[in-house]
Amino acid sequence: MNARIPHRLVAATAVAAASILALSACSAGSSSGGGSATSDAVVIGLTGEPVNLDFTTTSGAAIPQVVMNNVYEGLVTIDQDGELQPQLAESWEVSEGGTVYDFVLQDGVLFSDGEDFTADDVVFSIERVQSDAWLNGTKSKMDVVDSVEAVSDTEVRVTLSRPSNAWLFDMGTYVGAMFSETGVDDLATEPIGTGPYTVESFVSGDRITLAGRDDYWGEEPDITDVTLRYFADAVASTNALRSGDVDMVYNMQAPDLMGQFESDEAFQVIEGTSNGEILLSMNNKVAPFDDVRVRQAVMYAIDRQAVIDAAWAGYGTEIGAMVAPTDPYYEDLTDLYPYDPEKARELLAEAGAENISITFDVPTRPYATAVSEIVVSQLAEVGIDASIQSSEFPAVWLDKVFTQADYQMSVILAVEARDVLATFNNPDYYIGYDNAKIADQVIAADSGTPEEYVSGMKEVVRTITEDAASDVLFLFPNLVVAKAELGGIAANAVTESLVLSGLTWTD
Amino acid sequence: MARRLLSSLGQFLATLLVATALIFVMLRVMPGDPAVVALGINATPEALAQWRTEYGTDQSLALQYLQWMGGLVRGDFGTSYVTSQDLSPLIADRVQVTLILVGLSMVVALLVAVPLGVLAAVRHRYPSGVVLSGISQVGVAVPNFLVGVLLVAVFAVHLGWFPSGGWVAPSDDPVQFLRRLVLPVIALGSVQAAIITRYVRSAVLEIMREDFLRTARAKGLTKGAALVRHGLRNAGVPVVTIVGVQLAAMLIGSVVIERVFVIPGLGSLLVDSVGNRDLLAVQAIVAVLVLLVIVINLLVDLAYTVLDPRLRKAA
Amino acid sequence: MVTSLDTTDSVGMPVPAPSVPGGGRRRNRPGTQLIVGAALIALVALVALVSLVWTPYDPVATVASDRLQFPSAAHWFGTDRFGRDVFSAVMVGSQITLIVGFIAVGIAVVIGVPLGILAGMRPGRLGNLVMRGNDILLAFPGLLLAIVFGAVFGAGTVTAMVALGIGSIPAFARVARSGTLQVMKTDYVFAARAANRSEFRIALRHVLPNISGMIVVQCSVNFGIAVLAEAGLSFLGLGTMPPTPSWGRMLQESQQFLGSHDYLAMAPGIAIAVAVLGFNLLGDGLRDRFDPKMRSNR
Repeated sequence: MNARIPHRLVAATAVAAASILALSACSAGSSSGGGSATSDAVVIGLTGEPVNLDFTTTSGAAIPQVVMNNVYEGLVTIDQDGELQPQLAESWEVSEGGTVYDFVLQDGVLFSDGEDFTADDVVFSIERVQSDAWLNGTKSKMDVVDSVEAVSDTEVRVTLSRPSNAWLFDMGTYVGAMFSETGVDDLATEPIGTGPYTVESFVSGDRITLAGRDDYWGEEPDITDVTLRYFADAVASTNALRSGDVDMVYNMQAPDLMGQFESDEAFQVIEGTSNGEILLSMNNKVAPFDDVRVRQAVMYAIDRQAVIDAAWAGYGTEIGAMVAPTDPYYEDLTDLYPYDPEKARELLAEAGAENISITFDVPTRPYATAVSEIVVSQLAEVGIDASIQSSEFPAVWLDKVFTQADYQMSVILAVEARDVLATFNNPDYYIGYDNAKIADQVIAADSGTPEEYVSGMKEVVRTITEDAASDVLFLFPNLVVAKAELGGIAANAVTESLVLSGLTWTD
Repeated sequence: MARRLLSSLGQFLATLLVATALIFVMLRVMPGDPAVVALGINATPEALAQWRTEYGTDQSLALQYLQWMGGLVRGDFGTSYVTSQDLSPLIADRVQVTLILVGLSMVVALLVAVPLGVLAAVRHRYPSGVVLSGISQVGVAVPNFLVGVLLVAVFAVHLGWFPSGGWVAPSDDPVQFLRRLVLPVIALGSVQAAIITRYVRSAVLEIMREDFLRTARAKGLTKGAALVRHGLRNAGVPVVTIVGVQLAAMLIGSVVIERVFVIPGLGSLLVDSVGNRDLLAVQAIVAVLVLLVIVINLLVDLAYTVLDPRLRKAA
Repeated sequence: MVTSLDTTDSVGMPVPAPSVPGGGRRRNRPGTQLIVGAALIALVALVALVSLVWTPYDPVATVASDRLQFPSAAHWFGTDRFGRDVFSAVMVGSQITLIVGFIAVGIAVVIGVPLGILAGMRPGRLGNLVMRGNDILLAFPGLLLAIVFGAVFGAGTVTAMVALGIGSIPAFARVARSGTLQVMKTDYVFAARAANRSEFRIALRHVLPNISGMIVVQCSVNFGIAVLAEAGLSFLGLGTMPPTPSWGRMLQESQQFLGSHDYLAMAPGIAIAVAVLGFNLLGDGLRDRFDPKMRSNR
C-alpha cells in the first residue's frame, strides 16, 4: 500500500491511539492479574459483588462473605460442621437461668489499626447493633440483650431479657462482629477488625484484595495474598478458572458446566452444604396470595424436582421448608405438598382464582432467572399467568420487593443461617406472613431447654409450611470448583462467611 | 479557518451544557429516593433527613445542578451515595481502559480495512474483490459479542492460547496487558473492520469513476498511480466520517465485549451503577460518555476541513 | 456538513456502507443485492407470521425430561436446558426482532423526518436551531439511552425500542434535511412557491415524495442496527424479558453450553446474522435505486 491519504489516516489514528496508551500507561485500570503464581497467593472467583463493605448499613450476603472471619471476628464462630466454637472469647459460662453469659476474652488481640481489643470494644459492638448506627434489619437478633458490661479488660457479662437458644449462635454471624471503638468511621471502604486479613484494595466492579496481617493474634494463614475477583457472568468466572486466571470459583453459578470440571483431573469439584434456600416468596398481604388456598395451590403446582433438574442441572436438594438439613430442628416436610396440578386447580377454583394474572419480580441473578422460567411454565399449567418483571439485584430488588413489599411473587436465595424466623416471624417483613399463630410458640421454644427448642421449632416450621407462607423450592448447593492443588477449602456455607484462613497449596 | 474553529468550539460548549442539563434532569426521574437507596432498609426518618442534608439532595434542583457542574469543571464527580467511593479516580481509571480497548480495536480495524477495502474496489470485477466484499457484508451482520464468546470458547478455554479475559494495567505487566487484549480487540475490531472495509471500497469505487481520474489516466498514468495520486485523498472524507461515527458508537457499544471479557471499562461500570441505582455514578458516567462523543464529533468536523479544501471554503 | 454518509450509527453497531451507484451495478446484474436482501427479509417475516399461528412446540413450555437434546427429527434445532424446542423459540424470536425494528424505526421516522424537512425548508434560524438540537441528541447513542432508560423506567422490550428509536432520530433528521435542501432547489418547488402554495402543502406534495426513497434506505439501515442493538441489550439482560423468546437472550443463555451443545448458540446467532444481512442488503439495493445523486444527475 502506497496510498497517501490512508497512510496519513492510519498514521494519525495510530498516533492518537499511541498517545492514549502512553497517557494511560502509568495508571490505567489498576486491575486483575493472572492466577496466583506464588504459594502464598490465591485468586478466588465470585459472582455478586458487594456495593460497599459495611454490613451494618447495607443488606446483602456479599459483604459478610468477604469480611466475616477474615477481617472481623466474633466472640464465637460457627465451624464447618455448623458447631459453635470459641473465637475472640476464650471461654464462656451461662448462668443457671440461661440469661447471664460471662465471657472470658482472648488476651493480646490487636485490631488492624493497632488498638487493643478489650471488653470495652465488646460492649461498644453489642450496643452499637442496638443503636441507630446499625441500620441492617438483622439488628433485631440483638433485641434479646438487656445489658452488657465490661467486668474487667478481658471479662464481659451479657444479660439477656429472657433465655434464648438462638442468641449465642447469632453471635457467630455478622451481628456479633467485634468493632474497634476508634475504627468505625469508614466501614464502607476501610473495615477494621481483629481478623487475619485486612482489606488492601477494593476496585469496584472488579476485585477486592486482602492481605495477611503480621500482628494477627491467632495462627497466621498460609496464604497471605488473597484476591477476590467478581464476575458479572458465571460463565466468565469458570472460563477464567479454565484459562488459569483464578484458582477457585466459589458458589459457582453455572451448574451445567460442573460435568466438564468433574471429568478433568486438574480440577476438584466440591458440593458443600449450604444454608441457602431458594425461596419462591409470595406476598401474604396482597391478592391473590392473601388467600391461603391460592398459596397452597402454588405449592401443589410446582414440581420442585423438575425445577432443580431444569434450572440447576440437578444440583440441589428438596427440603420442603425453610430449614437446612444441618440445622438442629430440621424435619423432612417434602411430602406436605407433592406435585399435584389437579389439586392446585381445585384449590384455585375454590378460592375463585381461576385464570389469574400476577407479576413475578425476578432479581437479576443467574439462579433467579433460571428458576423463574420453569416456575412460570408450571404456574401456567394450572391457570396462573405470571409475567416476569426483572429487578436489578441488589438495589432495585431490595428497594421495591424487600423494603416496600411492592410485589406479588418473587424468588430469592436466602443465605442467612437459621433464617426461618427472620423470614416468617415478622408481619412487617416483605413476606407479610401473619405470625399470630407462631409468635408465642417461638418465644417459648427459644426460652426452653435445648430439647424444647428443637421440638418447639419443628412445630413452628410445620405451621408455617401448612400455611404455605412461601414456597421453598430447594436447598441451594454451594458448588465449588478449584484447581486440584488447592487445599483447605471451606466449602460448607454454614454462615454467609467464606473463611479464607485455612486455604493452602499442596504439592 | 480561525472563525470556523471558534464557532465549532462555541457549539461544542453549548452542546455540552445542554447535554449535561438533560442528563441531570433525566436522572432525577429515576425512581427511588437516593437517601433510601443509600441507607437501605430500616433507616430512621432522622437518619434520612441527615443524609439528605449531608449530600445536599434536599436543595433545589437548580442549585444541585450548579453544584454538580461546578464539580465537573474541576474534574470532581463527587462521592458515590452507594459505594461511598470517590468517583473521579474510579471513572478516570475506567475511561482509560475503554479508550485503550476502543482505540486499539479501531487501529487494528483500520490496518485491516483500508488495504482490503482498496483491494476490493480495485478488483471489484474479479472474484477476489467479490469475495472480499461478500465477507465484509457478512461480517457486518454478525453480533460482536457472538464473535467474542466464540473466541473465548476456542482460543482461551479450548486451546488455552490466551487468557479468557480480565485486565492488567500496562504499567503492571506489559506482556500480560497485551496478551489479555488480543481476543477482545479481535472481537471488537473484526466487526469494525468489516464495516470500514465496505466504506473504503465504496469511496474508492466512487472516486475511480470520477473525471479527474480519467483525465489522469488519459495523461498516461497507470490506474494504480492515478488512484494514489488523486483519488485517495478524496476517499478520506467518508472514511473519516465512518471512523468518527463508529468510534462514538464503540465507546458505549464496547460494553458487551467488556462483559464477555470481564474488562473493567466505562460501559460495564455504567451497567453496574445502574444496577446499584448509584445516581451520581450513572450521572457522571453518562456525562463523560457524552463528552467523549461530542469531542469525537468535533474532531471529525475539523478533519473534514483539513481533508477537503472545498469544505474549508464552504464554511 | 451534509454528506451522503450521514447514516449515523447510534447504537454501537455497524452501519452498512452505501453501495456506490453504478459501481455495484456494473458488476452485478441489476438488483442482486435487492433481491437477496428482500428474500432474506421475506424469510424472516414469513417465519414471524407463521409463528403467530403455528410452532412445532410451545416455545415457552418447559419439559424437564427433554432437556438439552441434540438436534433430531423431533427437535430440528434441539432443545435448551428447560427442554424447550429451540426451533420454536427461534421462530417466535423473529417476532420480537421485527417488532423492535419496526417500532424503533417508526419512532425515528415519525419524529426525525418532519424535523429534517422543517430544517431543510427553513434553512435560517429555525433550521439551525433544529439541527443544533439534533446534534445534542447525536451525543446520546441509542445503547446509552437504552441502559439509562432501563434504570428510569425498568428494562424491557418497550424501553429498548423507544430508546433505540430516539437514538436513531438524528440520522433520519439529517437525511431528510439534506434531501429537502436538494428538493427545495428544484423548479417545481419554485413554481409551487410562486403559486403561493402553503409550506405544509409543499412539504407534503413535493418534498416528502421526493425524499421518500432516501428515507426508505435509511429505514432499512436502521432496522439492521436495531436488530443488533436489541440482541446486544438482551445479551446484557437489559432487553426482552424471559420467558418471551429473544435471539440475544438465547445467545446469552447458550454460553454455558458452548463446547457441549454448540447448536444452542448457532441457531440464534445465524438467525440474527440472516436478519441483519437481509436488511443491509436491502438497504444497499434500495440505495442503488434511489440514490439522490443519480436523481439529480438525470
